[in-house]
Amino acid sequence: MKLTLKSSVVAAGVAAALSTAPMTYAADQVNAAFFLEWATPNMIAKVDKAYDKAMGVDVNWVDFTTGTAMTEAMLAGDIDISYSQGLAPFVTAIQQGAPLKMVGIAVVYEANDCFVKNGLGIDSSNASELEGKTAAVPLNTMADFAFRKYMAHLNVDISTMQIVDQAPPDGAKSLADGAVDMACVFGGVASKAAREVGTAIMNKQQKVDAGIGSFDVISVTEKFATEEPELLKAFLEATEEANNSFKGTDAEFEKIATASGMDVETTKTQMADFIMPSAKEQMEQYFSEGGIAEAAAASLGLVFSDASDGAAIATTIDGSFLE
Amino acid sequence: MFEWLSDNRALIAAVIIFALVVSFIASIILGRKQNALTENDEVFGDPERTKGGWHWAVCGVSALLLVWFYFSWGVGRAYYPLAANELCQVAKLEEATSPIRAALPIGSRYYKSTLLVSRNADQLEDLRLTLPTDVFSSAEQEELRSLIDQISLLIVNSSNPQNLDPDSIARLAALSADLDALTATLQAGPDGLQPTEEALAQPKWGTTHVEIPVLPMTPKGVLFDKVALEAQEVAGRFNKIRNHLPANDALIADIKSRIEAFKAASEAGTFDESTAEDRDAYVKAVERIFKRLDDGLIFPAASLENVNTAIANLEDAKNDARGGLNIVDALFLPGDGVVKSRTQCTEQGSARWLPKPTDVVATFMKLANPDLENGGGYRGVTLLWWKWLPIADVVGFLVPDWIADIWPGEYASHGPDGTIEPNFKDDLLAFAQGEVSLGYIPMFDGHIWDSMFRVLMALALGILLGVPLGLLMGVSKFFKSFFDPMIELYRPVPPLAWAPLILTIFGIQDDGKIFLLFMVAFAIMVISARTGAVGTQLSKIRAAHSLGSTDAQILRNVILPNALPEILTGIRIAVGVCWGTLVAAEMLAGTTGVGFIENIARTVSDYELIWVTILIMGLLGLILDLIMRWVIDKTIPWRGKG
Repeated sequence: MKLTLKSSVVAAGVAAALSTAPMTYAADQVNAAFFLEWATPNMIAKVDKAYDKAMGVDVNWVDFTTGTAMTEAMLAGDIDISYSQGLAPFVTAIQQGAPLKMVGIAVVYEANDCFVKNGLGIDSSNASELEGKTAAVPLNTMADFAFRKYMAHLNVDISTMQIVDQAPPDGAKSLADGAVDMACVFGGVASKAAREVGTAIMNKQQKVDAGIGSFDVISVTEKFATEEPELLKAFLEATEEANNSFKGTDAEFEKIATASGMDVETTKTQMADFIMPSAKEQMEQYFSEGGIAEAAAASLGLVFSDASDGAAIATTIDGSFLE
Repeated sequence: MFEWLSDNRALIAAVIIFALVVSFIASIILGRKQNALTENDEVFGDPERTKGGWHWAVCGVSALLLVWFYFSWGVGRAYYPLAANELCQVAKLEEATSPIRAALPIGSRYYKSTLLVSRNADQLEDLRLTLPTDVFSSAEQEELRSLIDQISLLIVNSSNPQNLDPDSIARLAALSADLDALTATLQAGPDGLQPTEEALAQPKWGTTHVEIPVLPMTPKGVLFDKVALEAQEVAGRFNKIRNHLPANDALIADIKSRIEAFKAASEAGTFDESTAEDRDAYVKAVERIFKRLDDGLIFPAASLENVNTAIANLEDAKNDARGGLNIVDALFLPGDGVVKSRTQCTEQGSARWLPKPTDVVATFMKLANPDLENGGGYRGVTLLWWKWLPIADVVGFLVPDWIADIWPGEYASHGPDGTIEPNFKDDLLAFAQGEVSLGYIPMFDGHIWDSMFRVLMALALGILLGVPLGLLMGVSKFFKSFFDPMIELYRPVPPLAWAPLILTIFGIQDDGKIFLLFMVAFAIMVISARTGAVGTQLSKIRAAHSLGSTDAQILRNVILPNALPEILTGIRIAVGVCWGTLVAAEMLAGTTGVGFIENIARTVSDYELIWVTILIMGLLGLILDLIMRWVIDKTIPWRGKG
């Protein structure tokens, strides 16, 4: 008797395990991820429920603190659309085979700066003097990406430099102490500290001329893109409309500031650096064959891993929903 | 050789897993036998009881490895090396049919059309109720109500199967027929299908950065791949079918022109700002719903029944065709199965963050390869190797430059003919800076050595300074009271809190990292030496004293040996804590080291690399601990027997 009981329990367990074929149902709501303290015009559309109206379904906005967390939530099926995911976490996710897609560009902003210690007398005109010097770089981040872009643009051979992996606050401190000659940092506080004792190797205009910039993407799960293409199109349309109707009035800034959890001043400063490319610009410049999105994702992929395949990453970049 | 091992890691794992199961069972049998032999002779609490028992160590290690193999899908890969590739093809089919399933009850409980009808009808009802009476004239209100009625009529027309045009009926019928044909193909089985050469030439599961090869490598996989490809085409057609009825066409044109007329009226009329805004918003809301309904996405439920049945049959056929894969998937691949993305298929569930033991070893071997040109090492530095170290470098490090500065005289300057004649002061400077040739000595090199060097240096300094101080604190009122507050104040502070200070004081070189580790080791050594010294039996000290020992002799010959067990235990603890702090220390300014690799791997969630560093640190800690145990056995064999 004992034996039969045991074997029937095992059988039931096996049957239960076999019947766990995933059954997911299309929900009546779309889950979208966003960042707090990242002031974008579409926060107005979020507050005014313009997305819900345009898509005809409830849009449930969930705030995240990192792009990697957005990836994890999308893999778990909790999030359908990530608005303004960083390029770095997106590329990392793709390299690891996550079924995600880049369908739009959320924000374009200035690349992170590399600060050269004041007193060394090195700027973009004599950058080759950086060879043999020490640089603090937070490896495998967008600052690392920007650092390589700058050095390549200024013809500096980075294999001659001693590169030290330091978090931005530590890098700024080492720059102030003179332990390193250049520090590449990101984040407001670290940048401010580094600016006190150093000068950016390339200024805003030079960066624009050299085409060195960063952007955040709108990413979705493959599942959402194949199953609900109309909803995705409506989402991108609503975003476009929100960007277009943004006039920069005080009332709008206040609304965005409240929605993103910042004060109005900080919101204004942050948004001064943001560019929201229109759907047309995105299609022509970013999502065209060999466009900016493809090129940036491929070269960022190489920063993370020597074995990265840019052509494979390019297959996950799809501007067709912008039409 | 390495290539062959790397390519056949599944096979090797199969042998290892078998051996592990055997040793697990054998060790339990052996252990039980031995227990039965000795059970009655032993006294509980006797330390002798814990001696021996290596078979239980084998049992524990095998159990751990088996759990690791199982949850990393290592067992699945070892015995079903092609299962993941087949599941990848099944995932392709699932992905291909997902647009159709999502529109039907089988995938989403309701027809997508049903959801659209209910959603839009609700929203139209809302509009009807919220029609603002103060901004529209009564004639306009009447017009808007009729507009909303017309839009509702669009839904009614689309939902009636009798309105369906023959073209759509034919297309839907063709679609179900095609799906039925796919079902038949699946049911016919993979007979006669062969994987292509290209597919067979793919790297095996998990041997490259592409986790699971995408092209089908088995006849069954080819079948699924083929069906998936056709299903994709069918799904594409399904997405394009629209329910355009002649009855609606006229209606749509009518509604469109009336909305345009309304907009024009709003623009032409002179309204104050808020009225104009309200008018626009309302008309826009009406137009928005209209636009969702004018593209023929709503089908009569009856018209889709056949497609729903066809796709349900296809699902059944798919589950049948999976056959044995179902069991492999459920029993040996714990987690969410195989997921397909654009670029590759990947493992989901525990296998995503837990790499297989054999993969970790392979990654380790790749890093350990000292041939940097051919992809060995990490970021241009070997893992553990050796190099010729110029003796001059050591001299340059030890001899300070200011010795040359204080030597009388001036440094040489270039003469009128452009030549430089170095004098003794110049030579001295060159010597102090290590710019002379003094020969070479072989020296360790690489990430592991750098980390090991930091830990051992810190430990050595901690022991050299901590033990004497601890002993003195145990015997002297002054030392105890003077140093106690300092050490007790800094000891509980976590090492990371010191990081910014250390960065500023020591800079980015090794000395800062060593100092951070030293602080950890020092506190432990002081406390253990002090505890040991205090614990010395007074009778022993008095006996030595009465036999005429000096203070120094008592300290060296009585107190130190008595404190040794505590000191050696302290070293064992310090070794462990130092390895634990290493990651934090190498985060300060990472250039090399195991902690540096871990910090970089973490930024991109490279789990294989993370596990390699965890294992390296664990194993090095274990080796140092084994050495310490050996030292303890040799130096204080009398411990616990006094």
